Amino acid sequence: MAKKYKATIRLQIEAGKANPAPPIGPALAGHGVNIMAFCKEYNAKTSSRPGEILPAEITVFTDGSFTFILKTPPAAELLRKAAGVDKGSGEPNRDKVGSVTQDQVREIAETKMKDLNAIDIEGAMLQIEGTARSMGIIVNK
Amino acid sequence: MTKINSWLEVSITTNGELAEAVADVFARHAPSGVVAERGIKYLDADDPGTPKDEVVIRAYLPMDDPSESVRIEERRQNLERDLSYLGMIQPLPAPTFTLIQDENWMAAWKEHYRPIPVGEKLIIIPAWMDSPDETRLPIKIDPGMAFGTGTHPTTQLALGLMEDIITKNAPSSIIDVGCGSGILSIAALKLGVERALGVDIEAPSVESARENADVNEIGDEFIISQGSVDEILAGDFEFKSAPLVVANMLAPILIRLTKAGMGKLVAQNGTLILSGILDEQEARVRTAAESHHLKITERRQEGDWIAFVLIPAL
Repeated sequence: MAKKYKATIRLQIEAGKANPAPPIGPALAGHGVNIMAFCKEYNAKTSSRPGEILPAEITVFTDGSFTFILKTPPAAELLRKAAGVDKGSGEPNRDKVGSVTQDQVREIAETKMKDLNAIDIEGAMLQIEGTARSMGIIVNK
Repeated sequence: MTKINSWLEVSITTNGELAEAVADVFARHAPSGVVAERGIKYLDADDPGTPKDEVVIRAYLPMDDPSESVRIEERRQNLERDLSYLGMIQPLPAPTFTLIQDENWMAAWKEHYRPIPVGEKLIIIPAWMDSPDETRLPIKIDPGMAFGTGTHPTTQLALGLMEDIITKNAPSSIIDVGCGSGILSIAALKLGVERALGVDIEAPSVESARENADVNEIGDEFIISQGSVDEILAGDFEFKSAPLVVANMLAPILIRLTKAGMGKLVAQNGTLILSGILDEQEARVRTAAESHHLKITERRQEGDWIAFVLIPAL
């Protein structure tokens, strides 16, 4: 019989720096996941990309075993890099911190396409534009 | 690094569409990272599980780290302010704040630890548990901080290959390079090998291996010391070679040690086991082994991880 899923956990953490402190410790310990096994494997798979935020999507089974896959960096991270800004705006509706072009949005949408719940590239671009708005980054049309 | 004793957990339950925007706001204020968790619903008895739409986003603000230049109350207010602005674009529920004490998360995980049967003859159990299967040889391992708790595919691959080789060739001794918790040497001794030499460059691993040897009632037949291939080849220990050599480490280290002469530790007609190789690293390990006169005679894979059995090429 196939194993039953217990939860899916997405960890948004820095490549090569997984350790048992929060947020990883409390997120995994309660589900009976071997924390060090996860940290070892995550760090082995990501240590060649220092400084990048590389999300891991972990599927936990009811017996405590787990598998995980690496996802593309968050849209916000890619938008920050494209706009050349350190962080998003605290007041995105008033204070704009930078701008990106439609071509840059398309490029990010193409990178993120496999992880987004979008039917086509236009739908994916709308989602990326939504994230840009929420960060105070203007999309130049 | 400064020890943090407590954390302010902030969480919001939202739908999948808003999850990434909320996670981004959290990430601005919680440098250690963000968690997004979905529960599972079962549509019928055969359904292995389908993720729910609802996502719980969590992040942790360190409460008493003196290196934090922004005080916790200010950080919390900034976070709430950023969420309120995000809420003006798309409606959001209010965040929940919970104070949590730092705890030994490794210890918390131990409560869920279960015995692991490996191969035909072994069962790995934590030191605090009695074996549920008396037909198998128990290996008691306290996971501690050293790798090699027995739950990871790299360790299981190495154990499985070792069991087969020991059953077939009955080697009298083993060298365990990068012994970590000592699990491989302990297993080899329980399977009938007479002497084991385990070396590791990390002092905590040497200490952990010693403790695990004691728990398994293994004495002088297991020599444990700080060191690596160079020290063994230099004759610092009781023996310089063995009919079985095992190394369970990450591929870049396996390659480095292969170049440092790990193959010379293998006695005539002996065998080397290399484990800890991700499939994308396989070609590089293969090239390093072959260019140092080692021939791969067996390859096993579990998930993304690969292990090799090698013999010295004539």
